[in-house]
Amino acid sequence: MTNLIGSPKHKKLKIINISGGTEVRRRLFSLGIHKGDIVQLDTRSMFRGPVLIKNLSTDTSVAIGRGIASKITVDILE
Amino acid sequence: MFIGQPNCGKSTLFNSIAGLKAVTSNFPGTTVKHTHSKVNVQGRLFNIIDLPGTYSLNPADEAEKVALTHLFIEKPDLVINVVDASILGRSLEMTMELMELDYPMVLALNMMDLAEKKGIDIDPEKLEKKLGIPVIPTVASHGKGVKQLLDETIFCLDEGLKPQQLSWSKDVEDQIKYVQEVIPDEFKKVANDRFTAIKSIELDRLSFNRMLDEISPSLKQRIMEARRRLRNGHGVPAYEVIAAERHHLAHKLFEDCCCVTRRKKSSLSERIDDVIMHPFWGYFILMGVFLSFFSIIFLVASPVEEWLLGPLTMLRESLPDLLGSGGLFYVADGIIQGIAGGIAIVLPYFIPLLILMSLLEDIGYLSRVGFLMDTLMHKIGLHGKSVTPFMLGLGCNVPAVVSTRILESRRDKIMTTLLIPFIPCSARTTIILALVAFYLGPVWAVGFYFFNMLLVAVLGRALSLFFKRPSPGLILEIPSLKIPSLPNMMRKVYFQLKSFIEFAWPLLIAGSMVLGLLQFFHIDRMINTVLSPVMQHVLGLPEELGVTLIFGFLRKELSLIMMLQALGVHYDQILSVVSPQQIMVFTVFLNFFIPCLSTVAIIWKEIGRKWALVSIALNTSVALVISFIARLIFIGI
Repeated sequence: MTNLIGSPKHKKLKIINISGGTEVRRRLFSLGIHKGDIVQLDTRSMFRGPVLIKNLSTDTSVAIGRGIASKITVDILE
Repeated sequence: MFIGQPNCGKSTLFNSIAGLKAVTSNFPGTTVKHTHSKVNVQGRLFNIIDLPGTYSLNPADEAEKVALTHLFIEKPDLVINVVDASILGRSLEMTMELMELDYPMVLALNMMDLAEKKGIDIDPEKLEKKLGIPVIPTVASHGKGVKQLLDETIFCLDEGLKPQQLSWSKDVEDQIKYVQEVIPDEFKKVANDRFTAIKSIELDRLSFNRMLDEISPSLKQRIMEARRRLRNGHGVPAYEVIAAERHHLAHKLFEDCCCVTRRKKSSLSERIDDVIMHPFWGYFILMGVFLSFFSIIFLVASPVEEWLLGPLTMLRESLPDLLGSGGLFYVADGIIQGIAGGIAIVLPYFIPLLILMSLLEDIGYLSRVGFLMDTLMHKIGLHGKSVTPFMLGLGCNVPAVVSTRILESRRDKIMTTLLIPFIPCSARTTIILALVAFYLGPVWAVGFYFFNMLLVAVLGRALSLFFKRPSPGLILEIPSLKIPSLPNMMRKVYFQLKSFIEFAWPLLIAGSMVLGLLQFFHIDRMINTVLSPVMQHVLGLPEELGVTLIFGFLRKELSLIMMLQALGVHYDQILSVVSPQQIMVFTVFLNFFIPCLSTVAIIWKEIGRKWALVSIALNTSVALVISFIARLIFIGI
């Protein structure tokens, strides 16, 4: 188990937990990022920038800032 | 009433029904205001409304609040839920929420072509049966399915067909009923009892809880109890339990009605994304895109400009012979200056700028810039989402200020709004290109831009010292890359051009005319004398330029035209009166000195008078300091 930032790129990841403030969590839910979803880390930008993840079940891409991404824990599936 | 998630093509669909009304792009959040339109379908008059996109019925930013207020208060006769079929799985989550409202509803499966390309095979009939509402596949950008959508809408409206209620897990349903049965009649209900109950459980906010205390303590007790039971049963807060219910329901529906065929390992658009979003090369490409952006505009515009200026200059030269040197001459000269300025100086730069801007928008590059720039934006105390308003600001500051509504926190909104007037809009780009690039060379213009960006960064950094609370961080959807549709692009360019011709150009002509009159009555000298301490002593510029600043407040382009008229020379003879260094200093000052009238007005409207005044003060003082420094560097004491 690791967080989104520490996980390898282009691997299937299962979201185990999303911590953080209520508003941030609600926002993630409404953008289709939920606990239990299978996602993939596409890009991790330089200088502590955001990460780009893709939800593999809905095929949507979302850019998430470092701070928020570090609060999302995932399991590496493959 | 059209409602759907951002960037699903509501506005495009709306336009294909209502004609050219709403602006579209491949950018979540293009529509931040609602658009009304009356249309005649089969001899009946309908009032249709295009709402800003919203990801859910829990508003996070102001644009979404606009959508919800309309949805709840105006109680539409029918809701057309537009969804992006290529991301149906997620879009259905909001469809679930909309169905809870129990309004008559039609689902438009938009962007079917994109879904097919992605290998998603959707069965609309099956979906229709499961949801109990008409489901119509459409491709709004090509007008496909629009007629059928209208037919079904009218049918649905006449029959009053309502969606089926999909039920959730038993324990969640139990809690909803538990709350639902005690909702008092005098309670301000939204749509129906069930929806009100669900929202009450979901809306776990302090202000809402306090409001409940006042209205009905017994109801509050029930709601709190329901939330507690859900939390205990599932180990997560109640709102998350409900969000998960919708998520699972939507996901199940998606799996039941769609068949995703395995596609090639990665599509072309994904491969392109890997390159343009690359953590390292992405920035090179970004730089390249911007450099070519401005070089193309300059390369197209400057020959056209020279070519157009010739005949117009000749016309002006022949004026004294025709009209003598009385008041009539000054008026006519002013009018010709205004017309010439519009045709020869503004339009050659403006049109290519608009076309390229809408190209970048429609492809979907702008939101990628948001991703790439997030790191940098953090350094100045904001995050990547503020890039949207900034980029729009390159076109015009007014829509840029309006678009700050997509930002969730007020802190970000105020900071971004204060910085927007420092972004060179198309009018100012025109000035930079027409003065700096034309007289000092394109390299100087690019340098000017880089300096400008640096200034925004420094100011942002400085402003963030005043706003203690940190920014909440970036969560931004990256829409898939799309091939832009030419009609849509042209439509956008047409809209902006139309507003320039209808609004700015007359002002330009009237402004030149007024200046002509001022010169005739020697009033301009008084204004110049008043402003001369600043112009001459601080900036080291000719006194005559003072009066142009007044017009610059109305429209930035006016200053450019006025400058020629005030100095009494033609565009190609400017260097005989002022030095290139002075042009540089003047451009610097003009660029930053005060947001134009419309920008001030919109800032006032969006975040209040206090901040509008702050913005004016900030711009003017920064402009004075920067151009004084520029004077020291370029001209000397």
